[in-house]
Amino acid sequence: MLSLGLILIACIYFPGIIVKVKAIFSGRKGPGILQPWLDIFRLLKKGSVYSTSSSFIFQIGAPIYFSTVVIAALFVPFEENAALFSFTGDFVLFAYLLGLGRFLIILSALDVSSGFEGMGANREAFYSMLIEPAFFILLGALAMFTGYTSFHDIFANLHYDNYFSIIIAVLAGYILANITLVETSRLPVDDPLTHLELTMVHEVMVLDHSGFDLAIIKTANNIKFVLFSTLSANCFIPQSMDLSVRIGIFLVLQVVFATGIGWLESFRARNKMAMNAQYILSVSAIAVILIFVVIIIKNRI
Amino acid sequence: MFIILFKSALLISFGIFIVPKQWKYTLALLLNILLVISTGNWAVDVLMNGTRTIALDISTWSGPVQLEIDQLSAYFILIIDMICFCGILYAGGYLRPYLPKKRSVFISLHLFSYVWLHGAMLLVTSLRDGIAFLLAWELMSLFSFVLVIFEAQKESTLKTGINYLLQMHLGFALIMIGFLIAANQTSELSFAGVAKYFERLDNAPLFLLFFAGFGIKAGFIPLHSWLPRAHPAAPSHVSGVMSGVMIKMGIYGIFRMVSLIQNDLMIIGIVVLAIGVISGLMGVIMAIMQHDLKKLLAYHSIENIGIIGMGIGVGILGRAVGDDALMILGLAGALLHNVNHALFKSLLFFTAGNVYYATHSVNMDNLGGLVKGMRYSSGAFLIGALAISGIPPFNGFISEFLIYSGVLHHLPQASFWMSLVAVTTTLGLVLIGGLCIYCFTKAFGMTFLGTRRQTQHPIVSEVPPIMLLPAGLLISAILAIGFGASFFGNLMLTILGQLTSVSSAKFSADLLQSLSMVSNINILLVIVIVVVYAVKAWHQRGVEVKSGPTWGCGYTAGDYRHQYTPTSYADSLRQLVNPLIDYKRHYKSFGEKEIFPPPKSFETENKDLIEEKTVLSWVHLMVRYLPKAGIAQSGMINHYLIYPLLFLAILGLLTILNVI
Repeated sequence: MLSLGLILIACIYFPGIIVKVKAIFSGRKGPGILQPWLDIFRLLKKGSVYSTSSSFIFQIGAPIYFSTVVIAALFVPFEENAALFSFTGDFVLFAYLLGLGRFLIILSALDVSSGFEGMGANREAFYSMLIEPAFFILLGALAMFTGYTSFHDIFANLHYDNYFSIIIAVLAGYILANITLVETSRLPVDDPLTHLELTMVHEVMVLDHSGFDLAIIKTANNIKFVLFSTLSANCFIPQSMDLSVRIGIFLVLQVVFATGIGWLESFRARNKMAMNAQYILSVSAIAVILIFVVIIIKNRI
Repeated sequence: MFIILFKSALLISFGIFIVPKQWKYTLALLLNILLVISTGNWAVDVLMNGTRTIALDISTWSGPVQLEIDQLSAYFILIIDMICFCGILYAGGYLRPYLPKKRSVFISLHLFSYVWLHGAMLLVTSLRDGIAFLLAWELMSLFSFVLVIFEAQKESTLKTGINYLLQMHLGFALIMIGFLIAANQTSELSFAGVAKYFERLDNAPLFLLFFAGFGIKAGFIPLHSWLPRAHPAAPSHVSGVMSGVMIKMGIYGIFRMVSLIQNDLMIIGIVVLAIGVISGLMGVIMAIMQHDLKKLLAYHSIENIGIIGMGIGVGILGRAVGDDALMILGLAGALLHNVNHALFKSLLFFTAGNVYYATHSVNMDNLGGLVKGMRYSSGAFLIGALAISGIPPFNGFISEFLIYSGVLHHLPQASFWMSLVAVTTTLGLVLIGGLCIYCFTKAFGMTFLGTRRQTQHPIVSEVPPIMLLPAGLLISAILAIGFGASFFGNLMLTILGQLTSVSSAKFSADLLQSLSMVSNINILLVIVIVVVYAVKAWHQRGVEVKSGPTWGCGYTAGDYRHQYTPTSYADSLRQLVNPLIDYKRHYKSFGEKEIFPPPKSFETENKDLIEEKTVLSWVHLMVRYLPKAGIAQSGMINHYLIYPLLFLAILGLLTILNVI
């Protein structure tokens, strides 16, 4: 349960920091750290407009998307502190649960019969299909490295006992960071702030959502962000330290991640759409390299 | 008692030809229920108390034939009974518009073949004698052929049917040769003979022969080319049964052979796994390219057969390296995926049939927006689509999870090569899963969501309740597996325990705990969804809820033509996998001097490249060169008299040279 608490705490400031950092880099003062959440609260006060061509799929889409992310949050451990659910192969269910949410949000986008939203839905389905292998190969490599097969056991036993194994931490962190960016639709794959619908991915999918639906979708995105950054943090924090120190490091690391994303989004341009498939596949390729690193370290060759 | 029921059901089936037209369906339904009662009773008994044999009072020259039902047979019998029963229920509604149009004898022939297909599949799973098995296998192919050509007045349907019949006989020949090779060495034409052969001699050649023979029925790539033709041509209840259970008879045969093989495990495992991965990936990629809903589903059968093949391959490799967990979990995943695929695929075919019933089209380019008129059908299709994509809380996830856990179990101790196998399997499963989501968001979105992609908007209405009843039965089975995962996991371990005599005690506790956790999380997921939805409903009572046109990003004249189409949805993937498919565009571009351009058309075509390269290229070669043999057919009797003389001369020459 500790991990859930930490995730919730990080959720509070994580999205705000990204916005703030981007504002500072572009020479503005920027809103307060809590502004993204205040926006969500403001949405909750508003009513909803439903497209006349939408059906019950649109009504259930956003609630299911939100629910799957909430359940997925119950899977993510904080090092040796187990999450609520922990069993052999739990990360398979974790990934497939997110798949359920994605499926429904794509259908909601197709439900309103808009060409723009169809475009977003199509890209979301395509990119998430391409990034999925990276996550599984990464977890497979870590399972081989530690000899365990659940989130909790893997992260509880992730010791870097020799210097070579630091490579694993670096690669795993890099892969997870990229997965985070793709899964949460950030730069360089998708630009949440773009003002041209033709080049959006995630934002254009939820164009027709409003009020409560939009609020829970935004909340779910924020939670999803922190879920993946918590997974990356698990790869980095040394376990020999005191628990309170590690919690401190975790919270600081989240700030660092958020700043990093803000920095990245300020200085990097979005990929060309046609480049995205290559970019995402290269992440999976790096994951395959990670498998070979583990095989070499474990002397299996 | 039950054997009399079984036999009388098959005998009374001839009565379908005699009774008046309006009673034919009722009689067929009754006979199906008789078959379900008799065999279902045996199957449940076997699953609880162990193998039993039932005398049939028929004998071939190798002795009396008896039904021998072990747990594997019992499991397949239950799947067959379930799907065939749902199929005949569905036919009650689906055939109704055909009754006045079709002649009485065609209706009788169709229903008669349906009953006999059901009976033949039951016999295939329970006969061990070689002759009897092959006979039942042949009956199954013949009656399914009759079922496929129900709409034989269309030339394309008849052509497809003949294609199907030929391919099935190729498979039949391969299986027969397999049995004969074994009988030649052991003088026993039966599964027992094959078992003895496998104990004594090299396994790989004979197993791969059987694998090819059964693989044609199952639809492994590159033996799949009948599948995407026959399923769309057949009426929907037949496609549901064929895709749901009949292709599983191939898997049944492979499972039997897997339980018998003794050596060459490594090579067999690698081949089966490789074919499984290729079938899975190519099946789903080709599925995405289709715009015919039933053809899309047919390609998905290939994909799912690929997943089953991956499970079997992983299982054999597990046995080869002596890891019981990998072996049992891989096979268990494959076995459970059989029933899962039977359930959701027949559900999907039935609902695709509903679409055809309501709109007279399964071309997704003309569909869209059906959800408004057909709430229940679209709900059923959605559940099938989620289940086939392996998404929790439905059943498809459970079988894929079993294969994943087998691989994960093995990973910590894997050697270099086995870790490559593990990576390949995981990559295959993950990519198939992702592509499935891509494909079924397309299939569901283009068929049921948005607005109709046609100028006229004929109002669609829901199909009669009898066509929704089987969907309800299938959905409840799908949910039962999703929410009672540990029960079904345990069942698989029991069946495989009997089949392979390997104890699963070491890892079964861990596995069952995981599965019950999965089920519990599924329940929790449903609760959370209900709660969130309730909160939403409560929240919306307090705020203003309006409806308006879709936000067109500033453009206000958007209409149905601006929606995504099946082709455009598939296009981003098509660009990535272009070398794997034969993609063509047919259109005429605008000319320079066309000031007032006439109406233009644009058409895309995706041909199956694997079929082109592996099957059709040979056929084209034969079509080109075989007519040259016609030179011998001169039409003169004196030439024809020379041929036997020549034959005898060559025979004599060969004898002198000691060749024969």
